[in-house]
Amino acid sequence: MDLNYTPAQTAFRAEVRAWMEAHVPKEPLITLECREGYDSHVEWERTLASGNWGMVTWPEAYGGRGLDLIQWLIFEEEYFRAGGPNRANQNGIFLLGPTIMEFGTEEQKQRFLTPMARGEVIWAQAWSEPGAGSDMAAISSKAIRDGDHYVITGQKTWSSRAAFADWGFGIFRTDPESKRHKGLTFILFDLNTPGITRRPIRQLHGDTGFAELFFDEVRVPVENCLAGEGQGWNVAMATAGFERGLMLRSPGRFQATAKRLVELYRTHEAEASPAAREAVTQAWMAAQAYAYNTYGVAAKIMAGGKIGAEASLNKIFWSELDRSMHRTAMQLLGAAAELKRFDDGRVNQWLEGYIFSLSGPIYAGSNEVQRNITAERLLGLPRVGAG
Amino acid sequence: MDFRFTEDQLTLAETVRDYLVGTHGPDVLRRLDAENARDPAIWQGLVDMGLTGLLVPEEQGGLGMGLLEAALIAAECGRACLAEPLVDTAFVGVPWLLAKGETGQLAAIAAGEIKLPLPHAINPWVADAPSRGNDELVSVDPLRVLSKGTGEDDPHLLNLAALMSAAQLVGLADAMLSQATEYAKIRTQFGQPIGAFQGIKHQLASCAVAIEFAKPVVWRAAAAMQEGLESAPIHVSHAKVSATDAAMLTAETAIQVHGAMGYTYEVDLHFWMKRSWALAGAWGSRAFHLKRVDEAVLGGTHAIGPEHTFA
Repeated sequence: MDLNYTPAQTAFRAEVRAWMEAHVPKEPLITLECREGYDSHVEWERTLASGNWGMVTWPEAYGGRGLDLIQWLIFEEEYFRAGGPNRANQNGIFLLGPTIMEFGTEEQKQRFLTPMARGEVIWAQAWSEPGAGSDMAAISSKAIRDGDHYVITGQKTWSSRAAFADWGFGIFRTDPESKRHKGLTFILFDLNTPGITRRPIRQLHGDTGFAELFFDEVRVPVENCLAGEGQGWNVAMATAGFERGLMLRSPGRFQATAKRLVELYRTHEAEASPAAREAVTQAWMAAQAYAYNTYGVAAKIMAGGKIGAEASLNKIFWSELDRSMHRTAMQLLGAAAELKRFDDGRVNQWLEGYIFSLSGPIYAGSNEVQRNITAERLLGLPRVGAG
Repeated sequence: MDFRFTEDQLTLAETVRDYLVGTHGPDVLRRLDAENARDPAIWQGLVDMGLTGLLVPEEQGGLGMGLLEAALIAAECGRACLAEPLVDTAFVGVPWLLAKGETGQLAAIAAGEIKLPLPHAINPWVADAPSRGNDELVSVDPLRVLSKGTGEDDPHLLNLAALMSAAQLVGLADAMLSQATEYAKIRTQFGQPIGAFQGIKHQLASCAVAIEFAKPVVWRAAAAMQEGLESAPIHVSHAKVSATDAAMLTAETAIQVHGAMGYTYEVDLHFWMKRSWALAGAWGSRAFHLKRVDEAVLGGTHAIGPEHTFA
């Protein structure tokens, strides 16, 4: 165990810091869950790409810098230190990208990864269906082979970024006779293909981040299938592992929130309760614990290890931490908590963050499902209904 | 930057674990409790493994290892609910004497001839004092031998002992989670193992989460103490709070999962629960350690934020 950075790692941090200080927008961007905010976030993706910061861990041949996971963590720490915006392309770079890296053909890597890293193609995910939420194996949307195309018919919902994104990915039933986990195929599709209708869903805060997708005999070339027909469930599980595990929520994000919470506490110290004080200290402790754990996971992967069901522990931890930090902030704000903008005109980011944090324990596999996975796959308890 | 134990360190911990599983199971705890006594053979076994000399320099007959190895093995002592004062003597007392430059007793400690009592102002008792008289105190933990007494307020001793208490607590928590999980697999009600019910699963999963995120805090604190970082006391306190919370949650969950059986002497769980209660309060309560973190973090004396992960 060596918890010191090498001189090269420290120099890399300085390089990231200098670039971020020069380029991160001085004012926070408005939410990416509306047209204007989405466009400004895509512009930011392209600014990042101009500095070659799109996805630092990918090989240079695919638009990355070929850096290791410790450098990625340093990058993320500096990104959140500087207050970098949310990543418009997170579904691409953090979920689909690693999946293509693992399962894609060389042709698919060439075709999809570089435009993803450069922010030229923004990706939406299309997992859930009206009848398949937590129970993803219940999906029924079909992709029927017709020559060198699949013909997709069905419906997806809660598709993050799909209101405005360029491409989407999801799993579809290519064997119409199949049930549950079998007969599914992972397919990438252009959201502007004829036959796709997007219906943005208005979220509880009034904006439209996700959408329903309707597929009416949509023709998608077979070369857009990842890892072969019938392999969809395995590929999707790998994607979910990336989502819940290392990549989607790096520790820097929560350490930055914890620091802002400490600063908020200091301005409200006179009227804050001892319970609020403890909650703020807990926020810092938990964010640090998450960071230590992530450094451990990164070291393990760099040594050739893998993350398995432990990813579920991660997902439970960060999503519940994020919610509790924002809840604490709302309590500290008191009567000002309900204001969408404070009287000095600043957006109440704690309110926006609190509302967003409520989705954390739901998306990427609800925390109830994560606790089932933990109990069954890490602790070895019998599956629900067994006996 | 490499937040991992080496293969050698993990192998060492595994060897200790296997040894304790084989020689220090629940039957031994029950026998010691029934006889209200210590068994010199257990101590001798630990001495023969070299554990009393783990941190003693090689020139004094020890293995010359560091606090990271000691913390890993302290967790194994917690997992086994070890009745002997190995952690106090060898993983707290030895580095404390070394830091003070007092090397006179080290060879005797490595040889297992001395068990070192550690009086401190923060505790109203002294564990494992060499002579026991009328001043005996009775712990809820039948395997802890306590006497009245107190000592100086030595900060380094406190930090070492709190760190090693935290390490034992994560091992205790691991063991209690495992006991509750195994019980949930075999106890059937309503025609199925109770572990198939989500009401049980989700409680045990929450313990797994708490333990998963307490352990790296303990290792980080051990590394900070080993390196002598100025911020080490904050990391020790963070570790003590996180490990205490994980162990208390797991203890309460484990008894709940065992149902009425968990309330009996017959089920082994109570040994581990009682040790957890004892260590939760020993060497600085949760409130004491939370306050130390709070004063540094909210008070602004410790650097925070994403760029200060290892401050």
